[in-house]
Amino acid sequence: MLFACLYIPDFPVQAALRNSDCNLAEQPAAILDGPESLLKVFAVNDAARRSGIDRGMTRLQAETCIGIVLRKRSPIQEESSQAVLVECAYGFSPRVESAAPGIVIADLTGTESLLGAPRQIGRALQRCAEQCGFIAKVGVASNPDTALHAASGMEGIAVIAPGKESVSLSRLPIEVLNPDASILDVLDSWGIRDFGALAGLPPISLVERLGQQGLILQRLARGEVQREIVPCEPPLSIQECIELEEAIDLLEPLAFVLNRLLEQATARLRARSLATDVIHVTLELEVHPDRQLKGSPCASVREPYERNLKLPVPTQDSKLLLKLLQLDLAQHPPKAPVKKITLVTDVALLRHTQTGLFEPLAPEPGQLEITLSRLNAVVGEKDAEGRLRVGAPEVLDSHAPDNFEVRPFRSLEPVTIHECLPSPQLALRIFRPPVSARVEVKQGNPAGVVFNGSKGKVLIAAGPWRSNGRWWNRREQWDREEWDVTLGGDTVAGIYRIFRDSLSGLWFVEGMYD
Amino acid sequence: MASLALIRAQVESRLPGALTIYTRSEREMLPSGIPAIDRETGGIPKSALTQICSLAGSSSGKTTLLLSLMAQTTRRGEFAALVDASDCFDPASAEASGVELSRVLWVRCGERPGVRSLEQAFKTADILVQNGGFGLIAVDLGNADERLVRKVPLTTWFRFARVVEKMPGALVFVTSAPAARSCAALTLQLDRGSARWEEEGALTHTQLLTGVDFTAEIVRSSTRKPVQSVRPKFIARSQWA
Repeated sequence: MLFACLYIPDFPVQAALRNSDCNLAEQPAAILDGPESLLKVFAVNDAARRSGIDRGMTRLQAETCIGIVLRKRSPIQEESSQAVLVECAYGFSPRVESAAPGIVIADLTGTESLLGAPRQIGRALQRCAEQCGFIAKVGVASNPDTALHAASGMEGIAVIAPGKESVSLSRLPIEVLNPDASILDVLDSWGIRDFGALAGLPPISLVERLGQQGLILQRLARGEVQREIVPCEPPLSIQECIELEEAIDLLEPLAFVLNRLLEQATARLRARSLATDVIHVTLELEVHPDRQLKGSPCASVREPYERNLKLPVPTQDSKLLLKLLQLDLAQHPPKAPVKKITLVTDVALLRHTQTGLFEPLAPEPGQLEITLSRLNAVVGEKDAEGRLRVGAPEVLDSHAPDNFEVRPFRSLEPVTIHECLPSPQLALRIFRPPVSARVEVKQGNPAGVVFNGSKGKVLIAAGPWRSNGRWWNRREQWDREEWDVTLGGDTVAGIYRIFRDSLSGLWFVEGMYD
Repeated sequence: MASLALIRAQVESRLPGALTIYTRSEREMLPSGIPAIDRETGGIPKSALTQICSLAGSSSGKTTLLLSLMAQTTRRGEFAALVDASDCFDPASAEASGVELSRVLWVRCGERPGVRSLEQAFKTADILVQNGGFGLIAVDLGNADERLVRKVPLTTWFRFARVVEKMPGALVFVTSAPAARSCAALTLQLDRGSARWEEEGALTHTQLLTGVDFTAEIVRSSTRKPVQSVRPKFIARSQWA
């Protein structure tokens, strides 16, 4: 049996500052918690501890330390950091236990031949955590609790050989076992201050004085407790969150922060050989209290601003995702400065395709998404009738005139090669919307058409071709008489399709045969 | 001779390829789907700018030719992009012409033809050319004001011609007047067509538009020398004929 424990010292501090530029090894940092009026130091890092900052101090007391970084505790950031640690461990073992905030235990039994010696595995695990922005300690031992105590009590990578647990742990302070305060007081009064001293006590006498709790602590100190770990399920989505010290009101600096979040999210995806095809971005906006008055135009800003991106193919490319987010936010900018960003990526399997030498030319799906976003930025998203301005046209199954829909364009359509038509078909060039016209009618037939300020004499006319539909719906009802006409004249000469709307009695030019 | 070889070696050592004659590989052609035009031009050149224009303006067959090109592209399994400057593309006509609509990226610019829609059309064409991957990029400026199209600087056309050289697809501009000049590898000028009517002269409701006869003129071709006397003619039949 072989277990590794990934331990993050001062986890609340590291979780809160993981996405910042703060160097936690040198710069003092403290996390504040509690009600806004009575914030107290909840956690500190080593540098802050050396400067005399400790838990329970008030904000004012903490601020006496020069250069200290103070942050409010963020449970969401702690959750997402814990998820990062779990994913880190998943890279080494399929059985991972999320033991406590900042503590993850992985079952490495049988992985030595694949991953190397225990020290190598420990080093790789530590490096993986460092890449995710943590300063981590790793313990490797034959049981989970010994691995945990080694990781939390020793520095760097601690590997404890099987059978030498008691000796290896003997110098660790008793506080590493995290006993109850009452038991700790008793042990302290006995002069028991490290694991070795506790392990050497007679068990029966210990049970008589401290009960079962004392025996459990002694077995833990000896490294004898052998328990099954409780594996956790890998998350179905990856969440990254950052709370900004100062709200961002420009898109360019916002892109820097998004880039960092996306890089971390895609690194986590890569670690699990997964990709994403849906991204949800939630921006919490900073709204001043005087702008939250009811009925003011800024009232709607109070809600978190959400944007969702859907991709046709799953990707791990953070640059592609960033570009799409930038284009989307440029088109739909938030209405107030952003103070908190939460990025959730749904996980999906990577798409593996084997392209052939003789496959027809097709746009690359990732690049195409950026192109479509750019095109939308130039021509707009929808027209007055709610149809997309950029997409693939689709003729609807209806006899109504000019009845079509524009669907989102996808370059992953299956390749089907068809024979072409032997001769070209006459095309109609539509006037959208139809051009209003004045038509001179003689003996029931059009004799002259005036439109766009020009007059054309009808040389030949064919019609009327009558059609109607949707008579049950007044708004969508249509009833018309179509004519195909050849017009003569200087400016409008050509072959046109004109129609008379039977409901209004007005004439229109629908299009030109071209 | 020895000194010539020495000079040559010295030049090539400093400027590799300086004395190598660059031979351009023969251009791949995209059939237009109209045999009369393909016979004279060999098709529409890929990796080059093609211009389809019509001085007559209306009913000259430029849309028919464009849809035929799009049908040829999409039916071969490739994708076509259409930049529609005046939103005049008729999906029903295109479907009847054999265009696979799911393989068409339709970009609808401003509703009213004008400077803004023309600007949008050139911007979107630029974005599409940069993206690549399309077998055909067609820019329909057929309804745009001739004066505005003529005002497009030659440098713009030149830039498109240079960029498309590295692209495996064809770039086609449909305009009301020839504007790209020497930047176009092929310029086709279409004349006003004459309609074919069934039962001409009879009662209007018994008459039927069965097709239109169109005439094309090859104004410029970098692949074959244009012959003024050759004016390919083709018939576009109506859907119901």
